[in-house]
Amino acid sequence: MSPVGRRGAWRRVSWVALAAVIGVALAVGASRGSPSPTVAQRVQAIDALVRCPSCEGISVADSSASTAVAIRDAVTARVRAGQSDAQIDAFLVSRYGPSILLRPPVHGATAWVWFVPPAALVVAAAGLTMELWRRRSRAPVAVSAEDRALVRRAQAERAALSGGGPEVVRAP
Amino acid sequence: MNAALGHTGVLLSLAASVVGVAVIAYGLARQRPEVARAGRIYGGLVLLGAVVATVAMERALLTHDFSIAFVAANNSRSTPLLYTITGMWSALAGSILLWGLILAGYIAVMVWRFRRQAADPLVAWATLVALVVAAFFFGLMAGPADPFRTVAGAVPANGLGPNVLLQDNALVAFHPPILYLGFVGFTIPFAFAIASLVTGRIGEGWQLATRRWTLFAWAFLTVGIVLGSWWSYQVLGWGGFWAWDPVENASFLPWLCATAYLHSVLVQERRGLLRVWNLSLVIATFSLTILGTFLTRSGVIESVHAFSDSDIGPLLLGFFAVVMVTGVGLIAWRGDRLRSPGGIDSAFSREGAFLVNNLLFVAFAFVVLLGTVFPLLYEAFEGQQVTVGAPYFNVMTLPIGLALLFLMSVGPALPWRKTTTATLRDRLKVPAWIGALVIVACVAGGVRGLGPLAVFGLGGFAAAANARQLVLSARGAHRSGAGVWRGLVGRANGGMVVHLGVVVIAVALASATSFGHRGEVTLRPGQSATSDGHRIEFVGLAQVRTPARTATEAVVLVDGHGPLRPAVSQFGANTEAVGTPAIDSTLEDDVYLTVDALPVRPGGPVTIGVTVQPLVAWLWGGGLLLVLGAILAAVPGKRRRRPTDPVSAPVPVLHSGDGSTGSGDVSAPVPAPERSAGPRPVRSVEPGDDEHAPEPVPAGSP
Amino acid sequence: MTITTGDRPPARPGAHRRHTSRWVAGVALVAGAALVALLASSPQQTATEVDTPLVGQAAPGITGPTLSGGSFDLSAWRGRWVVVNFFASWCPPCQQEQPELVAFAYAHRSPGDAALVGVVFDDAASTARGFMQSTGASWPAVVDAGGQIALDYGVRGPPETFIVSPEGIVVAHFDGPMTNAGLDYWLTRAKRGDV
Repeated sequence: MSPVGRRGAWRRVSWVALAAVIGVALAVGASRGSPSPTVAQRVQAIDALVRCPSCEGISVADSSASTAVAIRDAVTARVRAGQSDAQIDAFLVSRYGPSILLRPPVHGATAWVWFVPPAALVVAAAGLTMELWRRRSRAPVAVSAEDRALVRRAQAERAALSGGGPEVVRAP
Repeated sequence: MNAALGHTGVLLSLAASVVGVAVIAYGLARQRPEVARAGRIYGGLVLLGAVVATVAMERALLTHDFSIAFVAANNSRSTPLLYTITGMWSALAGSILLWGLILAGYIAVMVWRFRRQAADPLVAWATLVALVVAAFFFGLMAGPADPFRTVAGAVPANGLGPNVLLQDNALVAFHPPILYLGFVGFTIPFAFAIASLVTGRIGEGWQLATRRWTLFAWAFLTVGIVLGSWWSYQVLGWGGFWAWDPVENASFLPWLCATAYLHSVLVQERRGLLRVWNLSLVIATFSLTILGTFLTRSGVIESVHAFSDSDIGPLLLGFFAVVMVTGVGLIAWRGDRLRSPGGIDSAFSREGAFLVNNLLFVAFAFVVLLGTVFPLLYEAFEGQQVTVGAPYFNVMTLPIGLALLFLMSVGPALPWRKTTTATLRDRLKVPAWIGALVIVACVAGGVRGLGPLAVFGLGGFAAAANARQLVLSARGAHRSGAGVWRGLVGRANGGMVVHLGVVVIAVALASATSFGHRGEVTLRPGQSATSDGHRIEFVGLAQVRTPARTATEAVVLVDGHGPLRPAVSQFGANTEAVGTPAIDSTLEDDVYLTVDALPVRPGGPVTIGVTVQPLVAWLWGGGLLLVLGAILAAVPGKRRRRPTDPVSAPVPVLHSGDGSTGSGDVSAPVPAPERSAGPRPVRSVEPGDDEHAPEPVPAGSP
Repeated sequence: MTITTGDRPPARPGAHRRHTSRWVAGVALVAGAALVALLASSPQQTATEVDTPLVGQAAPGITGPTLSGGSFDLSAWRGRWVVVNFFASWCPPCQQEQPELVAFAYAHRSPGDAALVGVVFDDAASTARGFMQSTGASWPAVVDAGGQIALDYGVRGPPETFIVSPEGIVVAHFDGPMTNAGLDYWLTRAKRGDV
């Protein structure tokens, strides 16, 4: 194996090692401790997604307003009683309407707010890529001798100004 | 007296802007430059009127002139001096006056700066556009948002005082004016964008001449947003600093567009590309400031910031429509002239990175805009209310934020035009390993969760990549004998410092939102409890009474030091009591205390809310870095460009075949030695413009 | 290495390209116009009847001590129209609507067809009592310990008002300050079954 080839192989190994280190670290870091959340954790998770009715756009978990305290108590009682998250959400919606949830549902008419931005991003990225590809695939323009002379003159000026440089004009 | 003086000032400004518009329009129509030039004195007159009106307002506030309705509603005899002065922008009409004052200031500076080119139709058009905007705002003050309206009937003996939330933190003196300096500043680039579209002189670099104005406005908007977030953290009492409130979003939208523009304009400057796009961004930024003002001021969307009861909403909306139709119409009309010669050769190039950057920023802005107006859309079509809150924005913007962090690491390492994998590998190897080590260290330190780990890792990557550029640049400057500081100033290097600030903010956001926790402790005097690793000791209650404020303070020790004094305060009589938080801030974490419930009877237990969030203080540090970076970016850097240097037209590839441009110094793809002395003669000429002979634009030159 | 200039002749604008930019501009204009139309047609935030899930459902129970020391139970008022008003002394719109409510209560006292009950929302009993007395309000006001009644009714912030039918069904929900005339109008409609 030539030294160049060996260096290339070594480079490849170092990048694979990098990817492995990141992968393992993220895999370890992504695993949360306890498999089943405690009552307090569940209450906290639900509270964070429920809007404090008497505040402006913050969750009941973040508020000490009386309405927020009342909802926190109700949520805690229902979690203790063994209700599911969906049941608790349904209870709150039956009282306050759907606007009590800070996170719009992913189904129904509110699905638009979730799916339109990713779709728009994909369309825009695809359009941009196609446009660039179309431009690149077009043949380069023929350059006249006059153009070349113009460029050469400009570069000569540059070179004179800067006392010579690495720039070299090369003819095709 | 004050009312008469104020009305005089407002009417003077209104008249000056209307007459100025008419005179300039006449001069332009008759092609009489000397008339168009005469229009510029009206800029000074507008400023004079605005200053007179502002002086009248402050005088009325300071003398408690309750015959003016605005003063009666936003001032009282017991209001402290500072909040008397800031009373001007604590409600709708006065904040429009502040807007008018700042706009008048910008216009006056603009006509002074471009005084030598005042006869140029393009400058005349820009002045005209700016004066139209001024006429609109002073028209608002002369009509529906009159700050000097007098009270009907008897003059009240005392006023109501400002909103309670606006009188317990001195940041109120800084946040609105600075935010407005940012908002209003985008008027000038907008005026020049419209002017160059109208005159059809698109490739002459006027846009580049106003780039520094955009940077200036952007910097103030950034500071304004950071200060606003700091203010809400210190005052609102829920421990948060960003709630994705409609008004916060309204200030964030122009920021996103302006940030995209500051990047993509570099592509235009270097390669002559993206002209339509850049003009669209400038116009979108300005339109979004108007839309944001509409959202704040019309009461259409519920928000903490919303000033209710105003009838200027339809006018602002109409103005927004006019701005948008004008901008889009002009771009459609001039679309053919805006075409750029040439294209992007490779996606793996600096311009490719800027393009992706713009795509992401615009997607970010789209998410924020859609989330903000979606409740209205939903109500219009479904007849029901729905909330789009922080959980939505967090989920949607996290991937965009991560992609931006990644791009911020790779982008500065990419040369213009194209690159090879070898170049990229050399430049990114060390930063990538630093990012990986950050993840390993965090995992070893017990940090869990994919989202925050990704932010920390990419943050390490980005910080290392940008620091690398700074080090290279400083070393290069040192070697060339120019002094290390030379390598830290200029657009590219200032930009790197801004990037470091963004990394710091991203890390702070991720850790505070992922690992922050709110708890409550209920304690009697002398008792203590532990919450999230901090010992909270409640010493006792204290009553505080000043003319402006009555408060019950809980004296609390955190980990044995303090004392901190969270309180429940009442400002003035018959107002709702509000919580006043107290914060124990360290580099590591913030302990944020609120009084959640006072004892029912004396000596009873008090409930103290304890919010512990790691690294919150880094947010403000990151904000400082942003400001520092913006200042460094505004200092002229290397004098690199000469008229003969390649700008917009694609030029021969100058380098021999190693595929990399330059020696790792981002900012010098075409190595050109420093010129010994004197500033560059002309900076914004685009020789590549295909329709017009390049005209020198001495805009930025002495 | 070759010299490459622009990908296309710069002097001749391509017709295709121009159409693209017009087309994009048209789309932007339509989207912007839609946004303006949407914002222009949005209702302003004023006191209005609101459609919440509770309307048409059985009224949740209201039981508890009153400010004057008695006790209250909504189910005992079955057979009459009941106006339930959530209020607080610190809320300016509540202060604004209070004289109107007093007038309404006075007008309906002798016919006895409709009765008013207040529910204290997030306010100390002493200040709420002072507020009721100083405005001459004599209807019962229930103390809502822990905010559970407000939660059952889905109250966001005072003042909010509900009309409950003699059968115990919530027929209307209002957000914001009420007037005597407005209450009468809605009560008449409710009696006709027209809500």
